[in-house]
Amino acid sequence: MKNFPVTGALRSLTIIFLALSFTSCATSPPPCMGPSSKNLDAAVGQVQRTLTDGCAAEFDRFYDDLLRVAEGDPKPENKRIFSEFLVWSTDEGILSQRQAKDYYNRYFNVKFVSMQGDYNNCTHTCPRRDRVMRNMERELTDKERGLMKVSLDSSGYYRADELYQEVELVLEATCTACAAGQ
Amino acid sequence: MNVLPVLRCTEKVAGMRLARTLAGLVLAISLPVTALAQSNAPTIRLFPTTVVEDLRQTSSVAKEMESGLQEVIGRLDQQQQLYNESKCDGAESDPGCQRLAKQLGATYLDMLGIMEQRLPDMEHTVNNTRLSLEKRLRSELGNKMTSWTLQETLLGSNPEGTKEPGPVMRGRSGMRLSERFRQYYQLVASSGSKNDQSLAVLASDIYLDMDETSELIARTREEIARATLIEQLNQSFGTITPEMMEVVGGVKSILFGDEADYVQVAGPPPGSFEQEYRSPLEN
Repeated sequence: MKNFPVTGALRSLTIIFLALSFTSCATSPPPCMGPSSKNLDAAVGQVQRTLTDGCAAEFDRFYDDLLRVAEGDPKPENKRIFSEFLVWSTDEGILSQRQAKDYYNRYFNVKFVSMQGDYNNCTHTCPRRDRVMRNMERELTDKERGLMKVSLDSSGYYRADELYQEVELVLEATCTACAAGQ
Repeated sequence: MNVLPVLRCTEKVAGMRLARTLAGLVLAISLPVTALAQSNAPTIRLFPTTVVEDLRQTSSVAKEMESGLQEVIGRLDQQQQLYNESKCDGAESDPGCQRLAKQLGATYLDMLGIMEQRLPDMEHTVNNTRLSLEKRLRSELGNKMTSWTLQETLLGSNPEGTKEPGPVMRGRSGMRLSERFRQYYQLVASSGSKNDQSLAVLASDIYLDMDETSELIARTREEIARATLIEQLNQSFGTITPEMMEVVGGVKSILFGDEADYVQVAGPPPGSFEQEYRSPLEN
């Protein structure tokens, strides 16, 4: 009974030691370094290894890194490389199909992902027209990067820009007509 | 006299809107014909017969107004030239100059009278067209479409390729109305067919112009009444005011265009469509 406080102290010290050991493990996660290569194929390979190495949460940052690498060597084939990378990401369970589509279409498709909706324009789009247009404007900037600066698809970008202007005009007229009918 | 500049400004803006609106009319009138000629029935009906008939009537009234004003403005030009050549500037007390000034003022009143006479018809037909289009837009684009289907309609069947260049109506002005009609008519006549994507943009464009035009015609009518009263007072004194000449100049530029050249910026470089990559992720 006399030794009990000593045993208790030892047990406490052991627990503290173990806790410190676990904490030190937790504070040293995988490095999650971005791609160092300036070659897009090689950079994609590096990112794939890092993503499967426990860095999936950093997907956004890596995607941006890859876009930057691609901007350094713009060419039409880059679209395919990004598409294959995103398909791989869904196969690996890093992204859902929906997320992969949004990542691709936001940058490489003429259509606007921010112009999605399942309800009619009078009741759904018109009340939030300003927000829709702001989101489309931001997406247009991303399309400029993906289509023009990464893939050299200037005609695709100009069509997206034209579509943005047409949507603005048609929504203005449609929403005015919807409001007049209320 | 401070009413006249207001009139001039209002007339000018109204006239520019009118010009843009009317320019689209011939195009719009012709579109259903080409749409009907297509084997695939259009999925949206923005220009049914009633709308087309309203447009045709508006177009006809506008042409009448243009031809009616053309003669009186020509007369005004001649009288003003005579006034200047007679060196009446600074010699207003001269009996001959006073007579010329009165004649000029009377012609100016004629011009206001023609506008006053024609504008109610114009207002009526513009309103009819506006309301018809409003109903179609609300039904076809507002209630039957989602934002996604609207986007797909605007993109058409060839989203990746270059779009067939369509008429750009908004912001174009400064051309004789009849010439604009002729050019738009030729544009439509030479194009093979028009699809829903063009129709949606065209209907929106015409509707917004009609909406603004309708309001501006009403304001212009009010101002004409005031300007007429003031000019009738001026007739007693036989004076020509600079504002009066500004009004005439404004109406002329609206109806018969200004001389500004259109400078076209080079278009984008052509893309390589053969090598276009299509991802399985594309929507």
